[in-house]
Amino acid sequence: MRKALPAAIPFLVVTLALEWLVRAGFVPAFLVPPPSAVLQTMIHDWPELFAALLKTSAGAVIGFALSAIGGIAFAVFLSSSRAIQRAFYPYAVFFQTVPIIAIAPLLVIWFGYGMRTVVASAFIASIFPVIANTLSGILSTDPALRDLFRLYGATSSATLWKLRIPAAMPQILTGLRIAGGLAVIGAIVGEFLGGQGLGSVVDIARTQQRTDKVFAAVLLASVLGLALFGFINIVSRLALRRWHASEQN
Amino acid sequence: MRSAPYIDRRTFLKLVPAAGLLAACGSKSGAKLRLALNWKPDPEFGGFYAADYAKHGLDVEILPGGAGTPTVQMIGAGSAEFGIVGADEILLARARGNDVVALFAVYQNNPMGIMAHASRKLETIGDVMKSGTLAIQSGLAYARLLQKQFGFDHVKVVPSPGGDLTGFLHDENFAQQCFIMTEPLQARRKGVDVKVFPVSDLGFNPYTTVLATSGDFLRKNPDAVKNMVAAVREGWRSYLDNAAPTNEKMHALNPTMDAATYAEIAEAQKPLIEASTLGKMTAERWDTLAKQLKDLGDIPQAPAADQCFREL
Repeated sequence: MRKALPAAIPFLVVTLALEWLVRAGFVPAFLVPPPSAVLQTMIHDWPELFAALLKTSAGAVIGFALSAIGGIAFAVFLSSSRAIQRAFYPYAVFFQTVPIIAIAPLLVIWFGYGMRTVVASAFIASIFPVIANTLSGILSTDPALRDLFRLYGATSSATLWKLRIPAAMPQILTGLRIAGGLAVIGAIVGEFLGGQGLGSVVDIARTQQRTDKVFAAVLLASVLGLALFGFINIVSRLALRRWHASEQN
Repeated sequence: MRSAPYIDRRTFLKLVPAAGLLAACGSKSGAKLRLALNWKPDPEFGGFYAADYAKHGLDVEILPGGAGTPTVQMIGAGSAEFGIVGADEILLARARGNDVVALFAVYQNNPMGIMAHASRKLETIGDVMKSGTLAIQSGLAYARLLQKQFGFDHVKVVPSPGGDLTGFLHDENFAQQCFIMTEPLQARRKGVDVKVFPVSDLGFNPYTTVLATSGDFLRKNPDAVKNMVAAVREGWRSYLDNAAPTNEKMHALNPTMDAATYAEIAEAQKPLIEASTLGKMTAERWDTLAKQLKDLGDIPQAPAADQCFREL
């Protein structure tokens, strides 16, 4: 409870301020819906919103898992030599810059309408920070420790598993934290054109000028982002608390 | 290896506010009137690009839009003095407290339609709902009208890809929402014969490509609005007489369609515009639409028609 309090205060302040701004007539309700209206919509349309949240969650979580596995594996591959890095790293940047909304129609053609398009979109949107952070982590292994491993004649695979990846964990986890939010965005963009879920709720509500419903859906999307973030924080705590300053207090 | 040039920490910190300053430099211009379009420059907006605003003492900047540009909210928020909207959007907006008023209706007949591959030999719009895939904007009123009349149990409904035809061209059983004079033409160009079902056949016929402004701007600047409508009416007259010079201008702004397509669409849209009653609207049409939207549950009550549009 004491831990949740600091986060609850800004939420309450912003919510009350918004409610007041709209009720006092400073901001028209068709531009920014009053939080009370969003809450009402949330309750009234809960079955529809919850079903959409589940669909989006599935797409985002699968896309996120794929970019976690794929991103770490690709970064390990890149770290194997300078030449490989020079040859392939620039192409990884492609994933960071690809305007997902522009290629979404193509994803629909390649993967069809439905979950696969949403997963692909979440994957593309979220893999780059995993690659970049993992690589940077692996490459910044303490040179003294690397020398120590060499001195004892450790094989390169032993060095990778026992030294370089563990040493890179803090950065890998930072990459995953960023990727979690991006996977949610990717999933929703995928749904704009190719699926059901919160993305299509937002799209329909926007067409009907229902800003209250747009905000309700966006709020649920951020709850999903928070859940992913929280999950990674738990993993991070378990993985790092024995040795890394960021998880010791 | 030579040492790379580097920025020390102090220099970096000094650069940060400079970058912020640079970012803040996208300043606004003066007392221009802004006209927000809900799509890219194309013959649908021909008259707006043909209009000689300066002759009517106006300085108008046309803001091209894209899929989902919220012109009706932009008008309400004052981020554009004028905008292009659909009559159904105006009724929804008014029901949500956004005081938007229609001034000039370009399309007297709803250009929205469903196009399907001709090879499927579908007879009516109802047949489209019997099989295959249908790409439409589910949020639009006509989509729910379709659902109410025919049900979506046998057709797979997917989001509309905007003007993109890739999915349509790839799949024979794919039908999609279109502007009846635009996408069917492009599909035929790609060698696919199409059958088009206008949505107006359902009896759903809102004015489309409507010039609108906010009630507030109209009250404060009645003369500017009057001049705007006059300029637009003349613009459309001249575009209907001779579209070529304006098409050239729009083609430069939006080269995604070739010059021949501009000319063909400009010709094909003429029946929807009805030159004899250029821009005019009637209270009956607004009443009908309001009643339809109320029956669909989109608006709680039908507003008085005379609040929705102004004849100038």
